Formats: sequence, C-alpha cells, structure tokens
Amino acid sequence: MDEFQEILQDFLVESFELVEKLDEDLVELEATPEDLELLNGIFRVAHTVKGASSFLNFDVLTHLTHHMEDVLNKARHGELIITPNIMDVVLESIDLMKQLLYVIRDTSADAGVDVAACVARLDEVSGGDGNVPTPEASAPVIEEVAPVVEAATPVEAEDELDYDNMSDDDVEAEIQRLLNERQVEDKAKREAKIAAGEDVPAPPPSPEDVAKQEAKEPEAPAPAAAPVPVTPTPAPAKAEDVRDDAKAAAPAKRAAATVEQTIRVDVKRLDHLMNLIGELVLAKNRLIKINDDVEERYEGEEFLEELNQVVSIVSLVTTDLQIAVMKTRMLPIGKVFNKFPRMIRDLTRELNKKIELEIDGEETELDKSIVEEIGDPLVHIIRNSCDHGIETPDIRLAAGKDETGTISLKAYNEGNQIVIQIDDDGKGLDAQMLKNKALEKALISEKEADNMSDKEAFGLIMKPGFSTAVAVTNVSGRGVGMDVVKTNIEKVNGIIDIESEKGQGSSIRLKIPLTLAIIQALLVGVQEEYYAIPLSSVLETVRISKDEIYTVEGRSVMRLRDEVLSLVHIGDIFEVERILDSSEHAYVVVLGLGAQKLGLIVDSLVGQEEIVIKSLGEYLKGIEGVAGATIRGDGGVTLIVDVVAIMDMAKSVKATAMISDQNGDGAGTKEKTKASDYTIMIVDDSKTDRMIMRKSLEATGMILVEAADGQEALNVLKQGDHNFDAMLIDIEMPRMDGYTLATEIKKYNRYKNMPLIAVTSRTGKSDRMRGVESGMVEYITKPYSADYLSSVVQRNVNFKSEFLS
Amino acid sequence: MSDKLKEVINKQSAQKGESLDQSDDIVQLVGFIIGEEEYAIPILSIQEIIKPFPWTRVPQVPKYVMGVFNLRGAVIPLIDLRLKFGISEKKHNDETRFIVMKDGDDVAGFVIDRLTMAIRIKKTNIGPAPDTINGDNTMIDGVGKQEDRIITILKVNKLLERDF
Repeated sequence: MDEFQEILQDFLVESFELVEKLDEDLVELEATPEDLELLNGIFRVAHTVKGASSFLNFDVLTHLTHHMEDVLNKARHGELIITPNIMDVVLESIDLMKQLLYVIRDTSADAGVDVAACVARLDEVSGGDGNVPTPEASAPVIEEVAPVVEAATPVEAEDELDYDNMSDDDVEAEIQRLLNERQVEDKAKREAKIAAGEDVPAPPPSPEDVAKQEAKEPEAPAPAAAPVPVTPTPAPAKAEDVRDDAKAAAPAKRAAATVEQTIRVDVKRLDHLMNLIGELVLAKNRLIKINDDVEERYEGEEFLEELNQVVSIVSLVTTDLQIAVMKTRMLPIGKVFNKFPRMIRDLTRELNKKIELEIDGEETELDKSIVEEIGDPLVHIIRNSCDHGIETPDIRLAAGKDETGTISLKAYNEGNQIVIQIDDDGKGLDAQMLKNKALEKALISEKEADNMSDKEAFGLIMKPGFSTAVAVTNVSGRGVGMDVVKTNIEKVNGIIDIESEKGQGSSIRLKIPLTLAIIQALLVGVQEEYYAIPLSSVLETVRISKDEIYTVEGRSVMRLRDEVLSLVHIGDIFEVERILDSSEHAYVVVLGLGAQKLGLIVDSLVGQEEIVIKSLGEYLKGIEGVAGATIRGDGGVTLIVDVVAIMDMAKSVKATAMISDQNGDGAGTKEKTKASDYTIMIVDDSKTDRMIMRKSLEATGMILVEAADGQEALNVLKQGDHNFDAMLIDIEMPRMDGYTLATEIKKYNRYKNMPLIAVTSRTGKSDRMRGVESGMVEYITKPYSADYLSSVVQRNVNFKSEFLS
Repeated sequence: MSDKLKEVINKQSAQKGESLDQSDDIVQLVGFIIGEEEYAIPILSIQEIIKPFPWTRVPQVPKYVMGVFNLRGAVIPLIDLRLKFGISEKKHNDETRFIVMKDGDDVAGFVIDRLTMAIRIKKTNIGPAPDTINGDNTMIDGVGKQEDRIITILKVNKLLERDF
C-alpha cells in the first residue's frame, strides 16, 4: 500500500496547511460576516478536505466536513448570518477536524473521535430551514444545486456501508461508484462556477481527472494527481482545458502546469547543505588569514594582487552562498502567527474580555528550526497578556481606556536579528508588586529586592514558580509559562527584553538570531587563550585601567556612565592559569541579556569574526559556560562563551584575577646547594659570541642553555624544562631582538624577577636607556673580559663562591 | 557482487562486535607504551594515529582531559592516558603520538608515550583481566601473552566513556 501511503502523506500535508489558514480566516470572518471572498475561501477548504477524505475513505472525516460545508454554504449564500454562537460550533468542528487529521496521521485511520454531537449541532445550525435553496441571483443557479447533490448521495451511502467486510472487488466497485458520483458532482459544480465567471481554485486531487483510469487500476493514477495540492499557488481558471480531456495524460499535464514553482526538499538535505557551507566558511576564514600572511611576507609582489582578487571573490561567493542556503531554510513567521487570532478569540470568550489582536510583519522570515522553537513561547506570552495584562471591560472603562484591549504582535528585522514584539495596552507590570511576590515565594532575598531595578524586577516573571495571578485559571497562573519562554528563547540564543509602564501596558521583545549555525562573534584574549563571544550579546566594550575597578562585598564592580556594572574576569570563569603578568589596562566586554548586564574582563580584544558553531561532542557536553567550539582561520579550536551560563556563574565566582599574586617568583627560589643548581640562558645569534660566553661561564659549573634568537629563547622559556636564574641577551638578533624579548619575558609572572643581562656592542646612551626600559638589569658592552662577565652573572644570581670547585 | 567483496563485508560485520581477524582466532592489535607498561587496543577501533599538534584547553574538566583539537574540521577531545592512568605528566617528545579511537559515533584522541608495533595474537593467548580488577568498571579487556611479554588489552568503549 505504498501508493496509498504516499497519497495519504500528501493529503495530510495539504490538509494541515489548509487548516492552519482556516483558523485565521474564520476569526476574521466573525468580524466581517459579509465578506464573500473570505467565506468562499473557507468553504473551499472544507470542500477540499471533504473531497480528498472521501476519496481516501475516511468516512468520519467526510461526514464531519460535509456538514461543515453545509453550514458554510448557507452562510455563503446569505441564508445564515454567522453569529458568535454559530462560529463556536464551526470552530469546534474545525478542532474536531484537526483532531481527526492527527489521528489519521498517527494511525492511518480516522476512528476514535466522536463527531456525532458536533455534527448534530452543525445540522441544527444549517438544518433549521429544510428548504432547498431557491435561486436568487442568476449566476449561481447551478452552483447551488451541486452541494445538494453531494449531500444527498455519498454521505448516506458511506454511512451505511461496512467497508471492513467487503471483498477487494466490492471495495473497488464501491470506489468506482463513489468516484463516478463525485465526478458528476464536481463537473456540474465546476461548470456552474465557470458559468458564473468565478475563479475556480485548484481542485483537490479530485477523481475527476483520474476517474477514467481509475476503472482500470484504482490506485495507480493517484500519485500523479497527488502533487497538485503541493503548491499553494492557485490554479488559474483554466479548468475547461482539462475538463473533458480525462485521459491518462491529463493529470500529468496539469501537474506540470502548476507544480514547477516549488519543490519539497527533505530538511535533512538542507541541514547537510548547511553543514557543508559551514565547512566552507571555515576554509574561507583560513584562506583570508593565509592571504594576510602572504601579503605581509611578499609585500609589493605582483602575484599578490591576483591572489587578493581570488580570495575576495571566494569570500564574497561563500557569503552569498551561505545567505542563499540560509534562505532556503527560512519560513515566514506568519506560520506561527496564524494560530493566534483563533487563540485570542477563544480566550476573550473564556475570560469575558474584549481583546483585539493586531498582527504585523508576518512575512518576516526565520530559520525553520527557530520558527519551531518560538511557537510555544509566543503562546505563553500572549496568554499571559490576555490573562494578566488586559483588564476586563468594566475596569478598562473605569480607567478611561477603550473597552477593547489591544495586543499587537509585530515581527521585524533588526540587523542580524529578528525582533518579535508583543505589546499590550493592559495594566502593565508593577515592579514593587513583583518584588513582593518574589519575596513571598522566597525566590529572591530581601537584599536582592532592594537592589533591583525595575527592569530586573520585570525579569522576575521569567523565574520558574513565579506567578502574579491570584488564582490559577485555565489560562495561566501556574507559574510555568514564562519560564518556558525563557528556556526556549535562550535555546535559540535569543534575548528577552521587557518594558512596562504601570497602567499603560507592557511590551515584551524577543530578539532572535536569524540562524543558529553561523554567528558573528567577538574574539577576546585572556593570557594565551582565546574565546569567542556571540556578538548578539555584546553591548559594548570599554578599556579601563585597574584602579577603575572597585570591590563591593567581595565582588568587583565598575562605574559605567551612571550605572554600576558588576565585573567578572574571564580567567576566573574558565580557570585560566595566569602565566602572563596582567597589564595595567584591561578591556571590559559589556554583556547584555535582557535586563541583565555583566562586565567581562578580558586581556585583549582580537576582533569580530564569523564563526561556525560546532558541538564539543558527547564526551565533553555540558561544560558550564561553554556553548560550543569553532575552528579558526589558523586551524586552531576556539571555545564559544555561553553568555547565559556566564551570567549565572558570575554570581558564584570568586574574584582573583585582578589581585596581583605573589607566587610568581616562587619557582626560582629553591635552595641552591651546588653550582649545577644554577641555570643560565645565553641568547645570541652569533655562534662565536655564544661560545665566548659559554667559555667565560663554564668554569663556574652552572648549567648553560643556548638560544639563537629571541623567538627561540621565548619558546625555551615557555616549555619550562629549566628554571632559569638569569639570561644573557644580545640586542641585535633576527626574528626578535633583545629589547622585544626582554619586554615579552617580563609579561610572565614566573620570570618577572629574573635578571636579564644585555651583552652588546651598542654603547650609545639611548641604547642603555632602552635596555633599562625593557627590563634589563645589567649592560655589558662587547668586548668584555671573561672574568667580568662571570662576576656580573654571579652577582646577579647570588652565586655562592664556595660552589666554585 | 563478487565473492571478494562479500568476504570483505562479512569480515567487517564480524569485526564490528569484537576484534576478530579473518580467521576467528587471531586478533590484531596495536601496541603502545604508557609509562612503563605496554598496552594494546584492537586495530579496527583506531581511526588514525597522528603526531602531536596544538590543542585548546577546556575548563572544568579533569586534568587528564587536555582539551579539544581540530581533526580536519571536527572538534575532538584529547585525553592524556598517562594522567588518566595516574602516572605523572611528561613532556611530549618525538615519539609521542595521538591515537584517534572511535567506537560508533564517539571519537577521541589519546596521548600515548610511544607506539610499539602491530600485534597479531591468538585468541587463546588472551586471558581475562586479573580477578582483582575485574568488574564492570575496568578498562581492561584482557591480558595478552606473547613470548616473553604481557600486554594489557584495553576496552575502547570504556576509554571513550565520559567518567566525570
């Protein structure tokens, strides 16, 4: 039954799409009951579902939709005015229809949902006057007749037949019979419509086209017909072309005419594509870095320009490609917004309030995975606004407001983010009341409450277990909803921002990144490590000197304009070993997450880069404060900071990094008992010079290590194989000269106090000054006597003469 | 499908569960040294063996988890087996290697002191782990005896299991 499954899948997909649209339309209809266009649209949905479900033998569904269709048909012809009560019944039937569709999706059968009551009510609504509709206008004459024919035959017949006990042949015969009936109906109707000059919508995969073939092999043509409903594109009113041409080719022809605009693609394939693009972005970053290096090294060479061009083309195309693929994964947010008009309507009736919903920007597009995540949070926020925000009509009138409250739902682009804004003109949030509630529930301490700004107090509504509702209602008040909002939004790296004015209403803004896989990040350095901070959470960066940091109750804070910003050192959060001596200046990255702010102290700012988020894998998952990793242009791995977690961690982290520690010189202080406990490094690019120094010092018995330039010397130091007591440094060396080397060495806590002795032929006063500036303690000019060198070294390392053998 | 291909596929499926070679009673292992001891793991659970290269430290993990490194675009954890086995740290030298092991979807790099050789050993020459360290939690799969030496065979799935 694979073909059946295939048809079924298409049927379900189509039906769900239709039903989603239906909800919205129906609510709109209630406001404008005379809108014929709208009514026709709704009628068509019911009709399509009915047609397809009867084709697929879903009797219960057919039965239900048939009666819906009846009611709607009456309304369409002005015989029935849609009152809220009738609307309730219709909406109920739509809910049932949805339920049935879910059942069908899960079990491939439509049993188990009782529709009798609803059908009876639908019948009551439509059946009050039993007359066959009398023709009024000239055009719709025949059209009127069609549904009646439908009503007369298939439903009753189907109700009586027991398909389970039929033989295959009987079933086929029955299908054929039903198809013929429907064919007649549909044809009659279509002709009627064409005669009336109406737009004929794309018919359902109706038997009309396939009926003839059906006689030979009942299931074969169905897949051909199935793609028709895939496109939402309305078929042009060309039904005549097809009408009589019901040969095997007909369905295919039709399909070709309407389908080519869109194709369905498995999301997995798009995900795979996105992963590949991610790899490409990484490769691009790497290429750019290499290009920079090459540029530096071969400055002025001719091939550089060409290379530059290629690199920029690759980088441009990669970016475009990334955007293009990202767009294929985008869905309009309207998909989520669509369900709210219905929800608001139900809520207003349930809560006895008058609320109007304004929707704006439903065409704004978001990544599919994000669209799926934000549905629930929005439901909770809107329910909350209805229940807690908007007041009842009498209170509103008393407060001098319009009786009807307004909730507006807006979506718009803002830079690299999508902002979803939910405003209501209800009673707003009362910061003091929120604090009191939170205190009552012991969610915050007295002290915290006192220090809380209004904005922070608004944030309390996101805490689990917090609810301002006096009584738990059906709608909200259990204190879980807004917590869900927070978790879900944070899951997609989003930010929640609440603003409110008491009595005037409140405004909740969700800022959500466009996509999850590739983000802009700020790269920061601490000691010798780098971390990436998602740029969407970075408000600003500030350069400060150490004396701008104050300590209040054991926590570091600084003054940022007229605010007090609490600070935490990134090194304290990530347990960074402090090898380098921290300089007098530091950078503060101000992180913002909704109302919360935190200053993250880092040693250096590297820059902004586009990064691809990679998971750390099963083995390392769940490391607090780390959201993932990315691969940088140089092939190294950089960890991505989890801003949400850091905000929490900052509360418990002890500040140590800004306190200068005194352990730095501990390394070299081991008791010296013999000459070979002393280690001296000789740095000189000339082998002869190194030899001369070695000869001068060999007699003392100290260990001597040589390095040919500054870079090599630094590497030897970093390896930490030796504890050096002093260094002899030549000034003029390739790669890294003596001054730079000395400056670099002084950055390391461990070597801060190591004596550096310059050995050079430069004798100028300015040279000596530079030497002192870079941290040299002695200045020996070449040529020197061996004894002199030896004595200077011995003096500087406190060499005891008794070690001399 | 050619017979040879079939054979290969059969072989592979046979090897999936445990480390069997073409003939059922031979096991192929790769031996390496950590500290003073020689250990071995089934050759089929090795994705590759590479020379050391830079890695990135990861916070809040035990000391034996050195961090993560980039293996052709994948971020992979790096574990120092010396530290994991309670032996003191040692500087990497020319003989140090990263063995990238996999078990299903789990992949990790392990730092070892040096490789010894590929070992073919008869199944009958592999004894169970000593009773004293038996139990579900042991990382030792068995002990292989070969001529004059004893090789501890490790369970790759246990090595790749997060235990913190």
